[in-house]
Amino acid sequence: MGMLDHAWLGVLAVFQGPAAFSLFSLPISFTLLLVFAGFVLGIVVGATPGLAGPMAMAISLPVLISIFGYSSDALLPVMGFLIGVMKGATIGGAVPAILFNTPGTPDAFMTTLDGHPMARAGKAGKALRVAHFSSVTGDTFSDIVLVLCAPFLALLVEAYLDLPEKTALLILSLSFIAAVVGGSPGKGLISTGLGLLAVYVGSGEDFYPRLSMGTETLSRGFSVTTAVLGVLILGAVFEGMQETFHDHRRQPGATTHALTGDQVLRFADIRRLLPYIGQSAVIGTLIGALPGIGSTLAATLGYTLGRTRHQKHQPAGAPGFGDGVPEGVAATEAANSAVSGANLIPVLSLGIPGNAAAVFLILAADSIGGFTPGPSVFRVPSEGINPELVVAFGLFTAMFLANALNWTLGGLFMRSMGVMTRAPKHILLPIVLLLTLTAIYVQEPRMEAILFALAFGFLGYFMRKAGISPLPFVIAFILGGTLEQTARQAFAATGGDPFFLFASPIAAFFMLAAVAVIVFTARKPVT
Amino acid sequence: MSGYPKGNVLIGCSVIAFALITLLVWIPSDTATGIVETVRRRTVIGDAMAPSLAALFLLVGGLLLLTAERRAASQPLPSREAVVFALQIALILVVSLLLMRWTGPLAAALAGEEYRLLRDSYPWKLAGFILGGTVMVAALLVLAEQRLSLRVLVIALAAVIVLVAIYDLPFDDLLLPPNGDV
Repeated sequence: MGMLDHAWLGVLAVFQGPAAFSLFSLPISFTLLLVFAGFVLGIVVGATPGLAGPMAMAISLPVLISIFGYSSDALLPVMGFLIGVMKGATIGGAVPAILFNTPGTPDAFMTTLDGHPMARAGKAGKALRVAHFSSVTGDTFSDIVLVLCAPFLALLVEAYLDLPEKTALLILSLSFIAAVVGGSPGKGLISTGLGLLAVYVGSGEDFYPRLSMGTETLSRGFSVTTAVLGVLILGAVFEGMQETFHDHRRQPGATTHALTGDQVLRFADIRRLLPYIGQSAVIGTLIGALPGIGSTLAATLGYTLGRTRHQKHQPAGAPGFGDGVPEGVAATEAANSAVSGANLIPVLSLGIPGNAAAVFLILAADSIGGFTPGPSVFRVPSEGINPELVVAFGLFTAMFLANALNWTLGGLFMRSMGVMTRAPKHILLPIVLLLTLTAIYVQEPRMEAILFALAFGFLGYFMRKAGISPLPFVIAFILGGTLEQTARQAFAATGGDPFFLFASPIAAFFMLAAVAVIVFTARKPVT
Repeated sequence: MSGYPKGNVLIGCSVIAFALITLLVWIPSDTATGIVETVRRRTVIGDAMAPSLAALFLLVGGLLLLTAERRAASQPLPSREAVVFALQIALILVVSLLLMRWTGPLAAALAGEEYRLLRDSYPWKLAGFILGGTVMVAALLVLAEQRLSLRVLVIALAAVIVLVAIYDLPFDDLLLPPNGDV
């Protein structure tokens, strides 16, 4: 069967999978239902300051796995739900940014710059419509690029990269992520080193579990769940609690601004906004395709380039970016939303997660089994079916399904989420903490798992307080095992060549690039 | 005295010290095989290779902070307030997790029963989770609001009951703390 046959099977797997219920005699599959549920949940958490898509993913995962089990039939419903959350949270973050000058997600900060002035001027409805239209357009563009690029990139990797090159590529990815995430290559390398060290505790090929200090507690090592949820989610919860609690003031009463004038997004508006959206969608997609670079940078770049364009084309004296112009909202939202689809390019084609949402997709695939993101996913067998390729196209279908929901219902949901901004953060965070600890325990029912997760949570908290991004830690923890395994195989396959990482031009190039990216980012002027 | 912040120097020195101890003491003494091993005339990568790479990342990161990023404009460090807050949270978590772990077994012992035999039956199976969870959420809310009120207890209890409804009632195979440990 060819690639197109697999694509069609993927579409069918989404629409004709096990049915949850029938609507007018039409069976609605679990995957459809869960993409919808995830999408709605994503908008809710995105619109709630202090909560975020990854938190919802972390908490939902054990429940979903309990419902659907560990069979390959579980993959599409569970991962479809996570994709729904990812998409929903992207547009949800703009709601509090526009209505109350409080970004629901970090990447929505730039949206406040023009979105909130529009709301203050009585144009909140229009600002939300602009944000929604731009976000969905950027996201859809990014998904199209993902579908077109990921399979070909994977095929290229399979065709040209052997074990030494794959090892060097993993080192390059870790080095790149360390260099670009958080703006400090030194701190990025520290975060990466800590993640690698943590994943190597209690593992290895010898009978003695290395770095376990002879203790039974460490001999089993740390599970992905405890490390990832600890550093990423608990660390963020602790930091959020510290900031909220010690403010000693509740969130100020949200002030609503009366709507005045035309709130509709008209065709003329769309025509005027499209160049900004197009430019930002390309920027977001390019940035998203590189692992580790978040949507915050995409939003900043999209906004900056949009402002330059606006200055060129606007008559003198007209309101500019920052004064509440729809172009500012469009440039930001298109850029940060375009990151989400493209971020899955390195995940699906190389198995390298680029952001927190991708980490949870890998975690889901790892927990359920039967789908290992990486180049082998896109291998077309000479005869028979590659089930992983069917799942990959099923995921693409789920993404476009979420986009369809976004185009049709997203705006409506988004505009009704203003109430979530009033959810008191200081009450939500302790509940999220208990919820996360419970989610960890049900996945790994021993108190040690909770203690490890809390220890990682405090590590994540202090890393954040010291300006060290926890994302390289998490990505290194996930890739550490693969890196060691690939290196061992490459070393053995080259007959124990100590220079196996420099034996081929491609591997040598990757290794030099890994060093160069650190050197060049470290040499940038101090700001 | 030069005027630039010293956060990166502090972090850099600590990380370099940790990396060197890891490389020179911890890894050699706590791994059974070296960087490379020769087994039956075949040279293979040993268990010490990967952790050494991790330590190398730490070492280079620390050195970068001491050199290229020594004078970076932003060099945050955890404030005293942040450390005190972490200790407060840790204390609350220790107390609530102890309650979560031991309430059920202690209650069962007082009733002359063995908890292991009761952990699948109500209300025993939920006693520790409800008490420990309520104390955890309530104590954190008290820390946030700086006062104890009935409202705080009601919110905490309601949150715990919702969690029980999510994780315990619909699923027989999911274990709430501490039932996987006893």
